[in-house]
Amino acid sequence: MTASPAPGGARLRDGHAELTVLARSRWPAPPRTELPRTELPPTQLPGIPGFIISSFSPLAAELAQRCLRQCFGDPPADAERGGRTAIVLASTTGDIATAAAIASAVDQGRAVPPLLFYQSNPNAVAGHIAARWGLAGPVVCTIPAGAGPSALADAMDSAALLIEGAEAEAALVVLADQGGPDGDRGVAVLVGPAAWLQQTAPEGEAAAVRDIGSMSGTP
Amino acid sequence: MMTDSPAAVARVAITGMSATSAFGRGTEPLLAGALGGQPAFGPAGRFSVQRRRAKAAAELPGNPVLADELATVIGAACDQAGLAPPERGSATLLLALHTDAAAARDGGARSVAGNTPAAVAARSGLPDAPRVYATACVAASTAIADAAAMIVSGRAGPVVVAAGYLVDEDSFALFDGGRVLARDGQVRPFSWGRQGLLLGDGVAAVVLESAASARHRGASPLAWLAGWGRAGDAYHVCQPCPEGSGLGLAIGAALRRAGIDPPGVGYVNANGSGTGYADASETAALRRALGAYADEVPVSSTKSVHGHALEASALLEFVLTVLVVRAGRLPVNAGYLAADEDCRLNLVLSAAREVSCRYALSLNAAFGGASTALLVAAA
Repeated sequence: MTASPAPGGARLRDGHAELTVLARSRWPAPPRTELPRTELPPTQLPGIPGFIISSFSPLAAELAQRCLRQCFGDPPADAERGGRTAIVLASTTGDIATAAAIASAVDQGRAVPPLLFYQSNPNAVAGHIAARWGLAGPVVCTIPAGAGPSALADAMDSAALLIEGAEAEAALVVLADQGGPDGDRGVAVLVGPAAWLQQTAPEGEAAAVRDIGSMSGTP
Repeated sequence: MMTDSPAAVARVAITGMSATSAFGRGTEPLLAGALGGQPAFGPAGRFSVQRRRAKAAAELPGNPVLADELATVIGAACDQAGLAPPERGSATLLLALHTDAAAARDGGARSVAGNTPAAVAARSGLPDAPRVYATACVAASTAIADAAAMIVSGRAGPVVVAAGYLVDEDSFALFDGGRVLARDGQVRPFSWGRQGLLLGDGVAAVVLESAASARHRGASPLAWLAGWGRAGDAYHVCQPCPEGSGLGLAIGAALRRAGIDPPGVGYVNANGSGTGYADASETAALRRALGAYADEVPVSSTKSVHGHALEASALLEFVLTVLVVRAGRLPVNAGYLAADEDCRLNLVLSAAREVSCRYALSLNAAFGGASTALLVAAA
């Protein structure tokens, strides 16, 4: 096996990007013992102004927030790194609650609330995350065919394509699934150049960085 | 023995394609409609629009079924590429789809994509798609860029990219509620007096592969995907950056990948949705990426004739851009009324301008600032 620098800064192994996990988060939130000292485990998802009815966008935004803060500190990210960070937002379910609310309004002959128009595709919350954190890389939203770990692996493949092709240097990968017997679940992983680990701001929060293979919150 | 030059290695062959739009089934009616500049809009006919502010859409007659239409265009694209049924089993399928109306009404649905992906793969003799692209108006162009990245990196052999949207009541009501549909029944990209977009049927498929793969199979490229670029605005949930930052970056990346300067671009099939903010932002992006050449390069938005096919629109427009490069005639930017100071471009306003077009850009932009640029090169 050989490893060499890829155009985007990641390392290549056998022609594929070797992605370093810079930060991660999950929902439901982990117990307090697994969180940085400065954080409390939340009990419910914070809302986002302008997003209504569905928990999908708040779930994606909260996962992103908890993940990105570990690397970038408070938002926004510094312009140099944020400008080279992509967003991959994957969901095996999609925003089922918003789709159902639109269908219900149509079937009952009611007007569709204008705010549902804005949140009707996953780009909206991706744009919210991008604007808040200053992430100017590509935005990719997918519905992976597989479930659980294979869905996350597929989303990581999407990130790897962007980084290998020098379209981004890092990628925030969010897998957010809505509903189901266990409620809303998701993980977020920031992958990118290992060198960024050295720039990770608050001491202690970097302790939350672990290898993706040991991630226990994978839906 | 022929060897690929570095530039040829990095580009991707387009060896098959097909499309269905309100103009009819196949690429010929689509090209004829775009060159003729006669919009396909009429009264929306599949559901009542009595309670809606807007009334028009670009629809095929009747109630076509999405999985049927997708299977048809995939079959035609594979046939043109010479991808026989046994070879299809080892190809890769990438799909871009809108939310499925039946899944939205099924409390037990696994995902908003519904059953269409599995049905399409089974009927086309292709492996199941690993994912459905749901990046709104750049879903299909994102799938094309991923396909190209997979091919160039050696991850994939032939890749079939397919996308489909058929005008439906949920989307019509949603977009009408969002007040983005044109009430005057026309899409007027980059024009003074533009009121918004109109929905349109769009189903398309392309076969992409490396030059070596095409040569090995004896397939003749219709054209090349010479460059692609993707970037975000980092600006707003749904409004585009007024300076066109994301799309400007995407255009620059596509040109750099192909190794050409702005004057090499002979035509731009713009995103041109016909909405106020977006068209002005796209104009700024073109100026940002192409400099003074933005005043010269011919531009039109074919959404002005076939409408907006949402997740599938970028693929319909990509197919049309390939057809334009091959035909050497430029589509009309229909619906134009008068100049808008924020959209000063060299718009194609008269019927079917003839050109020698070696490279053409197909641009798309979406909510969240997601932007893509695909650069087509003549074969």
